[in-house]
Amino acid sequence: MKALTGNRLTDGEVVFWKAGAWVERFADADLFDDAAAAEAAEADAKAQRTVVVDPYLIDLVESSGLWAPLSFRERVRALGPTNHPHHGKQAEGGSAIEALQNAAGAARSSGRVKLIKR
Amino acid sequence: MPKLIKLHQGQASLANDRFTQVADEEPLPGGDVIISLTRFQAEGDRLLSEGRAVGVRVEAGEEIEGLVYDLPRVAVVALAFPKFRDGRHYTNARLLRERFDYRGEVRAVGDVLREQAMFMVRCGFDAFEPADDSGPDEWLAATRRFTHVYQRAADTREPAFVARAE
Amino acid sequence: MYRYDTLDKEFLADRALEFRQQVARRLAGEITEDQFKPIRLMNGLYLQLHAYMLRIAIPYGTLTSTKLRKLAYIARTYDKGYGHFTTRTNLQLHWIKLKDAPEILDHLAEVEMHSMQTSGNVIRNITADPYAGATADELDDPRVWSEAIRQWSTLHPEFSFLPRKFKIAVTAAAKDRAATRIYDIGLAMRRGRDGELGFEVMVGGGLGRTPYLAATIREFLPTRHLLSYLEAILRVYNRHGRRDNIWKARIKVLVASLGAEEFARQVEEEWGKSDHSRVDLPDHELARIRASFAGTFETLPAASETLEARKAADPAFARFLRRNVHPHKAPGYAIVDISLKEPGETPGDITSEQMEVVADLGQRYSQDEIRVNYQQNLLLPHVKLEDLPAVYDALAAARLATPNIDLVSDIIACPGLDYCALANARAIPVAQQIAERFADPALAEEVGELRVKISGCINACGHHHVGNIGILGVDKKGEEFYQVTLGGSGEGDAALGQMLGPALPAAKVAEAVEQIVGVYLRERKDDERFLDTYRRTGVAPFKEAVYAEAH
Repeated sequence: MKALTGNRLTDGEVVFWKAGAWVERFADADLFDDAAAAEAAEADAKAQRTVVVDPYLIDLVESSGLWAPLSFRERVRALGPTNHPHHGKQAEGGSAIEALQNAAGAARSSGRVKLIKR
Repeated sequence: MPKLIKLHQGQASLANDRFTQVADEEPLPGGDVIISLTRFQAEGDRLLSEGRAVGVRVEAGEEIEGLVYDLPRVAVVALAFPKFRDGRHYTNARLLRERFDYRGEVRAVGDVLREQAMFMVRCGFDAFEPADDSGPDEWLAATRRFTHVYQRAADTREPAFVARAE
Repeated sequence: MYRYDTLDKEFLADRALEFRQQVARRLAGEITEDQFKPIRLMNGLYLQLHAYMLRIAIPYGTLTSTKLRKLAYIARTYDKGYGHFTTRTNLQLHWIKLKDAPEILDHLAEVEMHSMQTSGNVIRNITADPYAGATADELDDPRVWSEAIRQWSTLHPEFSFLPRKFKIAVTAAAKDRAATRIYDIGLAMRRGRDGELGFEVMVGGGLGRTPYLAATIREFLPTRHLLSYLEAILRVYNRHGRRDNIWKARIKVLVASLGAEEFARQVEEEWGKSDHSRVDLPDHELARIRASFAGTFETLPAASETLEARKAADPAFARFLRRNVHPHKAPGYAIVDISLKEPGETPGDITSEQMEVVADLGQRYSQDEIRVNYQQNLLLPHVKLEDLPAVYDALAAARLATPNIDLVSDIIACPGLDYCALANARAIPVAQQIAERFADPALAEEVGELRVKISGCINACGHHHVGNIGILGVDKKGEEFYQVTLGGSGEGDAALGQMLGPALPAAKVAEAVEQIVGVYLRERKDDERFLDTYRRTGVAPFKEAVYAEAH
């Protein structure tokens, strides 16, 4: 399973793809179980050059019946910094946030090498 | 054909390029040409003896010193930027102007963007083939964006430490 | 303190306007992200995990109350009310919006500040001895030379597209408080035989994936030739530094591959061909810059009765004096270190309210000067002894009087994976866990000088290679692990740390540090520092303690 994410151009906010537009909550994101559909969405997203910066697909993992980003890095993006629990998306609280905070099974982050390249 | 912008006495204008830029594997056309340093070293004497004007294209990794002896005979030195982030030719341009006293055209070719305009002009470039959509007006504006500079370079701009003393 | 003249101010205004137009072009879709990214980076604006991050330059770590109040205002208005001081003495704001950035640059320009050259492959903001102008052990004021370099390097037309970033540190004191050996160029002032002042020029230091300590390429460079010599070094680097591999592009790799001697020969040859008089600053400009740093101090008694009385009556104040207060060159004055390392807090973080407290204290008690050092702490360089109790009380009320300078809880940590797009693991929570174990000030003081430095990735912003205890976060199949090194030092006795053993899981790191400290306390003789004991015993006893369970 995959989701599509990026940072919004105007303010850098972490956003997720939902039906051709972008939402701020991971819980609201479109989930793709079909690779072709995911890649098609990614191509559409990349064309939105004045909306979002460098959109990319992330891998998800199932944890207690919930899909969570596989990499620890993507969980931090979906929640906020761990040293400031009231900053970032986690500030909103609620069951979806808590579930994500407690999700198990983080594994090797993917796709980040690309970001280091210059 | 790429757009050629020339700077002359503080003005920028579109120029007709009388030079044909020739890749190493291409046959030489007639008229004035810009060729690689390697080709110039092999064929330069002959071309110049034919009475044509010859320019030399220097890649970022090539030593500009290799051209010093021939500089008085070279009409254009085209410094090729493989990527705009590759800054070696800023040094080469300064060396051409300040150390080797080259008075011909120093042209920026390759990945040339208006964001580099001021740096290029300050280092001694006077002709540009922008890879973005910038025209003479944008190019000139970019070179004039800063009223002051802090150091001497290959241009005639007065650095801050001189301006302050006046 | 250097004050901008009309010319400097116009330059900044031009820069702010340029960036405003570039942001507008990006938002309008006239330029792509690929084209815009290097532009925003040239203005210190990164895109990180949660938002944009703006890195504001604090030239050679010097601030005035006006500047610090403006930073507080910006953090409160455009961020979440706090900022993060870095090991490069810059201030990072982690929650910035692109659309606000031009306005922020205008605010900064109002107080003679900017974010230029805090990123990108350029000569970065200059670092200098934070005790400049206040310490008795300096030959000259390094800020004079730092300011000269700042101006020379600002939008340098030849050196704005270097193979990689380039950092310069300057000290003029006997004790190296600027970590000059880990810089691309480290400049340490020396006095020549005839009394003339010059710089020892060290080149090719740096941490990152392949750490090196800088090699001396010239024992003595007369100060007046500083800029022309720097230009020669940069020119050799710009021409010959590697551009094919980002991990091999720093000058340290060029110096290491050529050998320091050959590199020095090339620099001398280039320098010999250049017309120094076109680059070196004329005397009148040096004098102008120098005049702006002249400090005047009152004639005061070398001791203060008020101070002594409070010291005798208040052990916490006495401890603060021992740890955070340092001798000043002028009798009756002191240098006060302000720790941004309260155990449990994020190292280097400071709230807008705290910035305002420090700004007020700097204005009232420290000749309107505030400094930032690479340990991510602040300091007030010129405080009268008799004012120390008042300064202490105000700092304590703002939770800024933690008496732990250079102690085990005075930890350097980069933002790590909590914020940074490059990080592999978090650094902040590790620092917090370690500091909390040594939160008892008596315990921390009993352990003594011990520098713990944590980086969340191999780029080493947290200087882990030169930590007495260095901690590097790595990603092992999605889990955070930490490699521990021992015996590093970034000071006069600079050394790179040695690996302790296999990487430790996150939950084990603080405990391991406690075990390492335990070995030190057991093994130390007389008043040995941790580093001295380690150098005497080697790694074996420490390794045994930390990995005992595994055997």
